[in-house]
Formats: sequence, structure tokens, C-alpha cells
Amino acid sequence: MAELHLFGQIEGGSGFPQRRLFCKWGLHAGAAWTLLAGAGAGQTQLDDPQVDDVAHWGHPLDMHLATKGLQGWPRLLLEVWHVDGWGRPGLAGYGVCHVPSAPGCHRVTCVTWRPRGTRAQRLLGTGGPQLRVPEVTAAGAGDRFRLSTESAGTVTLELGVVTRNMGRYGVALG
Amino acid sequence: DDLYCKFSFVYGQDWVPTAGLEEGISQITSKSSVLPTTLVWNLPIDITFKSTNPFGWPQIVLSVYGPDFFGHDVVRGYGAVHVPFVPGRHKRTIAMFVPESTSRLQQLTSWFTGRRPEFTDPKVVAQGEGREVTRVRSQGFVTVCFNVMTKDLHKLGYDVGSAQGPGPQGFHSF
Repeated sequence: MAELHLFGQIEGGSGFPQRRLFCKWGLHAGAAWTLLAGAGAGQTQLDDPQVDDVAHWGHPLDMHLATKGLQGWPRLLLEVWHVDGWGRPGLAGYGVCHVPSAPGCHRVTCVTWRPRGTRAQRLLGTGGPQLRVPEVTAAGAGDRFRLSTESAGTVTLELGVVTRNMGRYGVALG
Repeated sequence: DDLYCKFSFVYGQDWVPTAGLEEGISQITSKSSVLPTTLVWNLPIDITFKSTNPFGWPQIVLSVYGPDFFGHDVVRGYGAVHVPFVPGRHKRTIAMFVPESTSRLQQLTSWFTGRRPEFTDPKVVAQGEGREVTRVRSQGFVTVCFNVMTKDLHKLGYDVGSAQGPGPQGFHSF
């Protein structure tokens, strides 16, 4: 069995119209992968930036995965939410990024999007529309037809990848 | 001005420090009268770890403290970053944040009494669990410079990749 270690941080988010943000994250992988140690999902702290317009979370990631195959390479699903002055959460954006495959340290910038909704919803609703099951539409490529979205900000992650025994199975990761 | 920094290392169960200081406190520093206006601690760190598993790779946790308007010692920021696993020289800039109380009255009284919200154990900053209930304000950055050497990682089958960007690999020793 080959192994993969993921270390790093969800550093922060920027480019969103709101400043008080937090991020929910989850790791999704195919059936060949098992999470041996570490939390596979979580939520960062809520940050209210004072210095610049970037919300800094610094959320540590530490996961140990084992795999029997290369299909379904792990992806991180990110949901950025903002909290308004009254304490109500609203969706700011969804983003998916694959865990880098080459061993080493990588600085990953994940772009995000949010569902647009009809004109009536935009005028009257609070917080904007959200996907009911974000894992299905965001993590896979299958079901996005007919979904209209608009672009949102970016999330910066610092991801480090350490692999074990990949060479033994003849896999070249670069 | 008048800030000092405490550092400590947080690591998983499979890790053991074998040499060096696990915790320390810096001197109290202030800005110089001449530009550039950065605060300099220049605090050397030297530590050696031994492990059976990359999971729980050590992180350095920093807490910065300084006096407030009335002279009380209050926390000015917490931050953490993973020790890089790629051998070589690395520079990391960590965003620091301060916990925020949820009620306005508490914010006002803590400004007067000098008892700001702080973490009972700064090592919480290195973990992902329990962060979803924290509200923070990010303010300031701390720069840490690492020189990392590893032993026997490759022998056990681990591949950590090479450092990104130009580094000391281009130099040959004479």
C-alpha cells in the first residue's frame, strides 16, 4: 500500500465582498483511499481582519492517507462563509482543489464561485442561495449542467505532500 | 513596541524531541527610530526530533505579548506553522491573530482591566479541532527562518520532493 501525508495550512481568503470570513473544509477521495490518521473535515476560526482585506485563518492540516490505486486522487472541498454584523452566516463561495501530486511544498490558490439564483432571489433573499448538497456538485464534475454561478474570491493554501512507497509501485510523481 | 515572543513546538504522539529547547521566550524589542520599522528578535532555535511516522509533523507555535495602554501585559497575537519537511533553508511568514470576545461589553471591560481573552494553552493554535467556535482578529505577521535537515527519510521509503524555487542546491561545497 502506498501512503500519502498531507501537511499544511489553510492560510486565508481574499477577494470576497465581505471581510469577516470562515472556511469549512473537507477531504474527498475515491474508494481506493483510506484516511488512516488526522481529521478529514473541519472548520476554521472566524476572522475579522484588522490590517488588510485578507482573512487569515492559519488552520493546520495533517492527514495520513493510504491507497491501493491512483483513481480518485484526494480533493479538498472548501466552503467560504461570511458572518454579518448580526451574526448570521451566509455563503461566500465554494471551491475545489486537488491535493498536489508532486511531493514537496506547494502554495495553492483555489478560486471560488457561488450560485447565482434568480433575480427575485437576489433582491429579496438574505445571504444568497446555497447548494443543498455541496459535496455532489462541487466535488464531482458530473452534475453542474444548468447551475448558474458567479465568481467569488480566492483561498490560499500552503500544502506539503510526502509520499511513501509510490516508487515501488512504479508511479512517477515528479 | 515592547513586544516579546514565546515559542514552543507541538508534535504528534509518534514524535520525541531528542535535543534542543522545546520552549523559549525572546527579549523585549521595540521599533528602531530609523526605517525600516520592523521589530527584530533574532531569536535562534535549535531542536532535534526523532519519529516513527510523519503524522503529527512538528509545528512551531508563537505567542506575542506586549503592554497595553495601561501597562498590563496582554496577548498581541498567536500563530503556528509546520516545520518544513523539505531539507534546506525556508522562510515562513505567519499571520498572527488575537481571540475576540463576542460581546461588546466584554470588549470594553477587558480594555480597561487589561484582561483580554487569551487561550489557556497556546498549543490550541496548532490544532484544527475546536477552531470553529473561535472568533479572532488577525493583526500582524511574524517571520521565521528554518534550516532543515532530515535523516533516513529516504531509506524508509518517503519522498519529500525538492524545494521550490532557487535554493542552496545550486551551490557546490569546495
